[in-house]
Amino acid sequence: MNFSFSDDQVLLKNSVRAALDEQCKPEHVRAMFDDAKGYGEPLWGEMAKLGWLGLPFPEEQGGAGLGLVELALVMEEMGRAAYPGPYFATVVLGGLGIMLGGSAAQKDTWLSAIAAGKARATAALLEEQLDWDPASVTATASRSGSGWTLSGLKRFVPWAHAADVVLVPARSPEGLSLFLVDPKASGVTLAPMVGIDLATRWSEMRLDKVAVGADALLGGPGTAGPLLESLLRRAAVMSSAEMLGAARRCLDMSVEYAKVREQFGQPIGSFQAIRHRCAEMLLEVDNSHAAVYYAAWALTAGAEDAAVASSICKAYVSEAARKVCGDAIQVHGGIGFTWEYDLHLYMKRAKALEPLYGDAEYHRELIVRHVVAAK
Amino acid sequence: MDLNYTPEDIAYRKQVRTWLEQNMPKTEIRTLEDRRAWHRKLYEAGYLGMGWPKEYGGGGARPMEQAIVADELARANAPAPTNSLGIGIVGPTIVVHGTDAQKKRYLKKILTAEELWCQLYSEPNAGSDLAALKTSAVDQGDHFIVNGQKIWTSGGKIAGWGLLLARTDAKVAKHKGITCFLVNMRQPGVDVRPLKQITGSSEFCEVFMTNARVEKGDQIGKLGEGWAIAQTTLGYERGGRALARITNYASHFSRLVGAARRMRRHGKPLIEDPVVRQKLGRIWSEIEVERYQALRTLTLLERGEHPGAAGSLTKLSYSELEKRFMELALEILGPYGQLTEGAPEEFQLEVETAVAEQGSWAYAYLWSRAGTIYAGSSEIQKNVIGERILGLPKETRADRVGGKA
Repeated sequence: MNFSFSDDQVLLKNSVRAALDEQCKPEHVRAMFDDAKGYGEPLWGEMAKLGWLGLPFPEEQGGAGLGLVELALVMEEMGRAAYPGPYFATVVLGGLGIMLGGSAAQKDTWLSAIAAGKARATAALLEEQLDWDPASVTATASRSGSGWTLSGLKRFVPWAHAADVVLVPARSPEGLSLFLVDPKASGVTLAPMVGIDLATRWSEMRLDKVAVGADALLGGPGTAGPLLESLLRRAAVMSSAEMLGAARRCLDMSVEYAKVREQFGQPIGSFQAIRHRCAEMLLEVDNSHAAVYYAAWALTAGAEDAAVASSICKAYVSEAARKVCGDAIQVHGGIGFTWEYDLHLYMKRAKALEPLYGDAEYHRELIVRHVVAAK
Repeated sequence: MDLNYTPEDIAYRKQVRTWLEQNMPKTEIRTLEDRRAWHRKLYEAGYLGMGWPKEYGGGGARPMEQAIVADELARANAPAPTNSLGIGIVGPTIVVHGTDAQKKRYLKKILTAEELWCQLYSEPNAGSDLAALKTSAVDQGDHFIVNGQKIWTSGGKIAGWGLLLARTDAKVAKHKGITCFLVNMRQPGVDVRPLKQITGSSEFCEVFMTNARVEKGDQIGKLGEGWAIAQTTLGYERGGRALARITNYASHFSRLVGAARRMRRHGKPLIEDPVVRQKLGRIWSEIEVERYQALRTLTLLERGEHPGAAGSLTKLSYSELEKRFMELALEILGPYGQLTEGAPEEFQLEVETAVAEQGSWAYAYLWSRAGTIYAGSSEIQKNVIGERILGLPKETRADRVGGKA
């Protein structure tokens, strides 16, 4: 039993932090607010070179063959930097989806291209009723010649405008199926959905009789349910890692500020009202750390409790990050409410992720189903 | 990172479980002598004082083995041994700070529960501000004379000996004038009165010392070192109970779910009520997160590292969780939760309490209020976290003016 990082994992974490400290400063995040694409190609190329884009993929496809603990370390640093770009969409939603359910040919095509920095991917997991249960999908897929025709409306598709391929769940006569769709294909319309986190991009994705080939099907027809559940678990844990990073940044900024900001003739951190709040923030961050890395390990190791640990992770961290980031604004006072100060970059990243891949209430229901069945 | 138990740990757990199946007391423990007998059986099997060095009668066991034994005892709902303060705090203090003569005289009898111990720290006017204690020990040549009042003394009724903090120098800064002693509780100058708590029971006592005698040979460490010694003894628990605590919570949780299955609201089983489900889901998440954290602490301990101030995070976390958990339990159980007598079997809580009486939800609920006060209140833990982990500045304190402390 060993709940600590290996030397290699610490090295990876440090190198990701060093690279993002250098190339993803708050000025870069802000510059991307108004950028047409919303992310910088030079940093993307650098991530390919550093091996981050293929981190969890098999070596045959140009990946590093690492696990979800390593991927969580990277995601935590991305949250800490409020990284603007399609890393999560590409590596977690698209990449892990293809890795979990793709044929050898699909993996060869897409995972290699993603790892090399040549392709970006995402997944369209949400429709207008915002139900994360894969059973709720209403988009349709009908047979057409040797291929399929897809129709439906997807919302909150992360970075779809930058993607070369989108994983689209749709209901075929056989049941729930998953398709690889080119967002530039005829019949696909993307419309931006602009949230409070301007460093994250979402699209509404309308599919109107979009024709795809037989090779666009991921896994067998009607078999996407379990695959989507697996993917959703991974997305829940990896987005929790990103929220953890954002929360840790907010805590660090609050503590530094409380040491230097003086009121009533002394640093505000000497007042128990502030110190105790900071201590509570640390407790939430520390518990979130345990929840994230336990779940990441459990998913990688195929542990018995991997599914419930993923739900515990997302339920816990969603609320902990909200509290910590909100408290950070309170500790800062007026300066924390200004656009100019960087705190809101991280607070908004955590907020944007909170309802995605199942919010706390969604996951608590899954937890209770599990524990009630077991007891 | 590998959160699987090693084959050695799994085998060890199995061995402990088998031993417990064969050796659990067949009849209910009623008297202190019954409990002592159970205590000795545990000690002889190597399941008590496991972390103490072998040369003093301990087991020299790894932290994981200690955690597994505590966890298996909790799983089996085994009766508690006695002398927990002797084994958890007094013994380790003597091991680290005591003389050879003190070690020979006291250690073995602590392990075998021949002599039971209590801790004489808090006073009516020295709670969170423990260093403000006023009980005095005056040097009389070959012995000290002690006068003062102690409070919140766990097990004071049954203890023959106490670990005492007393002021030996009132002229220096308050942290520097305190000395640590071992005091015989069975002498005319020591009067022990049970303190009845909100639970209706008396785990704690008040201790009045009037010209009580402490032998020179029973001083621990040097004069004025008592505060520093007390600081180290607070760190001796070392996470050995971490897994056991979670196992207790999990067993309470199971019983709560069982009760929620039997109860109904608006004609439907309570367990189907989405509000109740959300609350249960939240508490179960928090219990599991405590378990993950326990594994992190055990990782540190196994490597020979000490959690240090991070122990404050652990204590703050579980004691506050326990309050929320018990509040939820009584909310779900309604008036059943308040019963100390007459509850149907499925609405009872089958655990031992701190005084080893049969437990009830009501008792556990009331007892949960103690956890955020004893051994450093939540407010004190947050001060420690703020100052020692986050490095936030200390507050301006009236008793530090003039730079004395």
